[in-house]
Amino acid sequence: MWREIGDREAGKLRPNSFSNRIKSNRIQTLQLSNGKDIVSPHRGSVNSLQVDLTEGRYLLSGASDASAAVFDIQRGTDYEGGGVIRKHKCLFMVDKQHEQGHKYAVSSAIWYPVDTGLFVTGSYDHHINVWDTNTTQVVMDFKMPGKVYRTAMSPLATSHMLIAAGTEDVQVRLCDIASGAFAHTLSGHRDGVMTVEWSTSSEWVLITGGCDGAIRFWDIRRAGCFHVLDQSQSQLGRRPPILKRSAMIKGSTAKSLSASQSSFAKARTPQTKLMNAKQSPVGKIPVKGSLKQRLHPGMLSSQDRATAHYGAVTGLKVTEDGMYLLSAGSDSRLRLWDVESGCNTLVNFETVRLQTSKPIQLATSQNLALVFVPCMTAVKAFNMWSGKTSLTFRGHYEHVNCCWFSLQDQELYTGGNDRQILVWSPSRSVSDEDEGAKDEDNWSD
Amino acid sequence: MSVWNYVVTAHKPTNVTNSCVGNFTGPQELNLIIAKCTRIEILLLTPLGLQPILDVPIYGRIATLQLFRPHGEAQDFLFIATERYKFCVLQWDAETSELITRAMGDVSDRIGRPTDNGQIGIIDPDCRLIGLHLYDGLFKVIPFDNKGQLKEAFNIRLEELQVLDIQFLYGCSKPTIVVLYQDNKDARHVKTYEVALKDKDFVEGPWAQNNLDNGADLLIPVPPPLCGVLIIGEETIVYCSANAFKAIPIRPSITRAYGRVDADGSRYLLGDHAGLLHLLVITHEKEKVTGLKIELLGETSIASTISYLDNAFVYIGSSYGDSQLVKLNLQPDAKGSYVEVLERYVNLGPIVDFCVVDLERQGQGQVVTCSGAYKDGSLRVVRNGIGINEQASVELQGIKGMWSLRSSTDDPHDTFLVVSFISETRILAMNLEDELEETEIEGFCSQVQTLFCHDAVFNQLVQVTSSSVRLVSSTSRELKNEWFAPAGYSINVATANATQVLLATGGKHLVYLEIGDGVLTQKTHAQLDFEISCLDINPIGENPNYSQLAAVGMWTDISVQIYSLPDLSRITKEHLGGEIIPRSVLLCAFEGISYLLCALGDGHLLNFILNTSTGELTDRKKVSLGTQPITLRTFSSKSTTHVFAASDRPTVIYSSNKKLLYSNVNLKEVSHMCPFNSAAFPDSLAIAKEGELTIGTIDDIQKLHIRSIPLGEHARRICHQEQSRTFAISSVKYNQSSAEDSETHFIRLLDDQSFDLITYYQLDAFEYGCSILSCSFSDDSNVYYCVGTAYVLPEENEPTKGRILVFTVEDGKLQLVAEKETKGAVYSLNAFNGKLLAAINQKIQIYKWTLRDDGTRELQSECGHHGHILALYVQTRGDFIVVGDLMKSISLLIYKHEESSIEERARDYNANWMSAVEILDDDVYLGAENFFNLFSVRKNSEGATDEERGRLEVVGEYHLGEFVNRFRHGSLVMRLPDSDVGQIPTVIFGTVNGVIGVIASLPQEQYVFLEKLQSNLRKVIKGVGGLSHEQWRSFNNEKKTVDAKNFLDGDLIESFLDLSRSKMDEISKQMRVSVEELCKRVEELTRLH
Repeated sequence: MWREIGDREAGKLRPNSFSNRIKSNRIQTLQLSNGKDIVSPHRGSVNSLQVDLTEGRYLLSGASDASAAVFDIQRGTDYEGGGVIRKHKCLFMVDKQHEQGHKYAVSSAIWYPVDTGLFVTGSYDHHINVWDTNTTQVVMDFKMPGKVYRTAMSPLATSHMLIAAGTEDVQVRLCDIASGAFAHTLSGHRDGVMTVEWSTSSEWVLITGGCDGAIRFWDIRRAGCFHVLDQSQSQLGRRPPILKRSAMIKGSTAKSLSASQSSFAKARTPQTKLMNAKQSPVGKIPVKGSLKQRLHPGMLSSQDRATAHYGAVTGLKVTEDGMYLLSAGSDSRLRLWDVESGCNTLVNFETVRLQTSKPIQLATSQNLALVFVPCMTAVKAFNMWSGKTSLTFRGHYEHVNCCWFSLQDQELYTGGNDRQILVWSPSRSVSDEDEGAKDEDNWSD
Repeated sequence: MSVWNYVVTAHKPTNVTNSCVGNFTGPQELNLIIAKCTRIEILLLTPLGLQPILDVPIYGRIATLQLFRPHGEAQDFLFIATERYKFCVLQWDAETSELITRAMGDVSDRIGRPTDNGQIGIIDPDCRLIGLHLYDGLFKVIPFDNKGQLKEAFNIRLEELQVLDIQFLYGCSKPTIVVLYQDNKDARHVKTYEVALKDKDFVEGPWAQNNLDNGADLLIPVPPPLCGVLIIGEETIVYCSANAFKAIPIRPSITRAYGRVDADGSRYLLGDHAGLLHLLVITHEKEKVTGLKIELLGETSIASTISYLDNAFVYIGSSYGDSQLVKLNLQPDAKGSYVEVLERYVNLGPIVDFCVVDLERQGQGQVVTCSGAYKDGSLRVVRNGIGINEQASVELQGIKGMWSLRSSTDDPHDTFLVVSFISETRILAMNLEDELEETEIEGFCSQVQTLFCHDAVFNQLVQVTSSSVRLVSSTSRELKNEWFAPAGYSINVATANATQVLLATGGKHLVYLEIGDGVLTQKTHAQLDFEISCLDINPIGENPNYSQLAAVGMWTDISVQIYSLPDLSRITKEHLGGEIIPRSVLLCAFEGISYLLCALGDGHLLNFILNTSTGELTDRKKVSLGTQPITLRTFSSKSTTHVFAASDRPTVIYSSNKKLLYSNVNLKEVSHMCPFNSAAFPDSLAIAKEGELTIGTIDDIQKLHIRSIPLGEHARRICHQEQSRTFAISSVKYNQSSAEDSETHFIRLLDDQSFDLITYYQLDAFEYGCSILSCSFSDDSNVYYCVGTAYVLPEENEPTKGRILVFTVEDGKLQLVAEKETKGAVYSLNAFNGKLLAAINQKIQIYKWTLRDDGTRELQSECGHHGHILALYVQTRGDFIVVGDLMKSISLLIYKHEESSIEERARDYNANWMSAVEILDDDVYLGAENFFNLFSVRKNSEGATDEERGRLEVVGEYHLGEFVNRFRHGSLVMRLPDSDVGQIPTVIFGTVNGVIGVIASLPQEQYVFLEKLQSNLRKVIKGVGGLSHEQWRSFNNEKKTVDAKNFLDGDLIESFLDLSRSKMDEISKQMRVSVEELCKRVEELTRLH
């Protein structure tokens, strides 16, 4: 570490490489934290974990005992072992006792992305509640047609406040916090929707994974889904000769991310893009509008029936750079998709067994290109490009349901059926603690 | 200090990051363009050397700099891309000598991850497109249309994730890039792609080459007729093209920069990490490459960029040492080197540490920096103001005036020094032994005070006393003629030049005499309204011996008047205002502009631009130089005229870019000064101060003076010890002679005056010096140097062992008196309540200095505090400890005496990766972070809840654009107790690019005023390339971008003084403050640095 600090000081190491290198080094040493302990108040399996996106300070958990809890992960409530072990008790919890609480399991608990003033819980009692964090009162409530599996809000959105909800029902609903009503229903899936995920590059693009094995891309400003991922479609790796390539592009529908930004992006982007060379939006090939619209609602039925997994899609996660999508399925497969082309990259993730009955929450880290996947009682980190297992985290006694990676602290939070929330942190040198103990001797005598 | 901060650059960046050569300012003119991170300099190649044309700031950190020539253009355009994803295309407008923006835009994307290896920006040799690699996996293309205009940009997916370099190939019918990349298994390959502009995609290129040198990281495209690409590795150099592959082994080295010598691309200069310059030659038969040859030319600074100029002249830009202009000779010199260094351009970067000291004990800070790296490491002593190098001095009390005289009109040197006292005049002259000796000029009256002396034409001298004017032959030294003041009147003030004498007697009389050969003739006489306080007839017209104008300062009505000569008719009268009389006036000309300077009795100076034909005075400006009356004198140094203002704060007034500048002279108080250019002391000044007459030479006239002390090794930490008058530095010596590069770490002790090495202490193998401190402990009167170290073992990720060493300086030796092993690297050491506070890995630890039974002393740990990732930077104030963490921003700890423990009080919960911290005052702390930002946080002890009290509130944010390594309290300028700026506390910072900057805490009223001025300036001063100042200064890191607050950009504000009058008026109108008042307030600020 000292060497890197010295190199940064002398300008030999670029500051952004410095931070990336340190993060990567630290992630490589992740282990069950010996200095941080989250005291789980839940009496049911932990289904959902999220650290707030603004400060990286408050952890929100949702559990099967119909409870949701908030923890301050930066400041401990108690200290043990001479100030070395920090205990984090929850700041508050809402459960069945709460008059507005859920009746059945909370399957999903997420923060309002803009600040920590609100959070959203989705439950098997068919309700989605929006809570005021400070008063712990429900400020809004959406009645859904079935058990809620997963809710999501776009981390980018500046022009909408929509909660996307995946439920037992075949339709994905968008609940609008601004109006308190359903803004849209998205129809296409042929079975319940276990997982929903917003794009990290466009606030209008939603990705959903259904029990029908389909992963659908929606542009919420338009009717119908614009793309269905097909596990058999893969052509990355070689660039085809020029003629064939252009023909293929015309037939493809995967390019609408670009169009989506260009039309609405201007109002939202803070800096005005100037003069003759404009910012080029995400995707690049401007598909003619008419062509795309024709394709949208009634996509070729063969395309519409494409599947991403055999069985249900249980987890989805878009990488932070917005270029790849990871999916987990009840076929115990993990797949890495190139978002722009919609192709299966065919990365062969080492064989794992995944929970099949429940949605699972994946996490990724751009540093080291890792994906954290709950694999029964363990959590494994796979390298995204090679598919090899980099790290394995064993600590839960029962199945793990969810994980959340905090890049800010390089810590991994995992929750499982054993009702525990475990923290995995970069290892600290043990000797340091010895000295702490010894010091006490020094000044006590 | 306060939360309202003003950030200004005292020393501009000097780290040269990019350079290029082309015809930018004219089709026939060859230019060198240099990027110094946030500035670009444009130089013109002339037979006399490199002539600067323009030096402008860029509102961004320059990532790429390229010259290119669109079709149909006669000269080159400049393409600049900044690290925050802005780009612009600039063109030179020869008529206005300004940069015109041809195009600009934003190339940021919502997707993609910023590249780790730096941004790449390249331009197709046939000018079909600009290629940018800014995010992993994406290649951005900005195409040109047929008219050379830029079209809309698009991205192409690049499958190679770890790209090391990309270049365009020459001579391809379709634009073709060659990509050097590393795969998942760390093997390196090159691959080519054709850019299909129509399809906005890549097509597989003509060739690829797998499994290159593992250290390959530089591509050099070879122009036609050869084409292809050179791949520079650590052990091999490969030439590659569709039909040829040639490789040669090289001595292991890391090539950092290259420069193409010939237009046909057959020879290249390569600069490596050790500063060795090689010539690489592609041997070829016509268009067929037959092989490669490499030859060592010699040693230069470690190059970050190489630009071959012309005729074997090469510019070497460096990040780690001084940049150089070198000449490559055909024949080697005695040491076998073909490289001859013609010029060195000072580079302070990287400043890894510095200390502020007052070596001359004059109340003025000097900054001593650890600069440079590797073999180019050095210490630099940076000091504001102009130094006088004392040559000789005599004790003389009560000097009332001094003049130097020549022994004949044609003599280039001065011989006599006339020194006037209250009741006598003494004459000193250089004797044969080059000593000053008292002598006599018979014709002079030496029993009275001399009012003025001057050389006159026809080998004569003029002396003015209170009763008469005496004309004396300089050869025979006899009195030739004398003019007596009218009876009953005595001469009060007088002035003269070679042919004229102007004097004022009591009774408001002004008398004008002319000097002939042996005669003094009274030409005119006038009676004025009031008594005269000062006079000047310094010739500023075409005739160097005769002045057409006389300047007169008046008592009573406090005015300055211009009279024409010889008729003594009044042309202009200017009331000065106020109640302080003018004490010295001076007519002078700088850079072809005539000025009237008028110094007041309270240390203020007024200056006017003087129209020599009409006598009109315009552009009045007032500055404060000191508190005592000022005497003005001209002198010349390096054949340029300057003005010396003698007072309690002696100042040199000079002109640069047609703007008057004021630079302090590093002397305490000067009553009189006169130039004394004798044969023994050429270009010297005679200076009268505090009972002493000194003769000395003056430094170059510039604001900051930098003295280099080359070390040949890399100094990492420095600290000064007042008591032993020494500096201790921690340094690294790189041994590159052996096969394995090895490092040795030293603690070195240097004399603080001569900077001679006194002694050293060598650290253990693998032991690094991390921190150094001079301190004393409670119950012990000695002063110690404490050194914190770390054992950096190759197999360890983080040091687990270190030491704290305590030394005393005894008889020029470092005596190790105590040592304490630690469980990690000692990143920081601070003196803390008579104890030692160390930051060791995650922990803050306090050590007591205890006496053992045997009388020796040891460090004993007292208490500690956990809870940091790495406590890298620590500052203390009273019982408070402010910690800058590796990645967890700033936290505030408090030491509790009763419990002997450390507790956390508050912290900033943002995830800032720190690079330096400082305490501004009890409540406000300053931090610099990894992404070139500054921020300030405030303790909220009055918060209502624990949560509020436990949080350090972010009060200021600012994008500095520089990586700050260290803050230190102190000032580069001497503080005048009475002036406004004298009360403003300042912090100095040093950065990787060699910037020395000042952060000043302003009173709120002044801050508000300047903030308004800044926002008005933003409208008037447009950034180069149309880049926005507001965006540039917005705080920006991985997580967020927010507008700057509570920090002002002093560089922008001070550029107000460079504006044209019409623009100043525009701003003055917006501000509703007069231009003069604005100038005064801004000028005051410039005196902070």
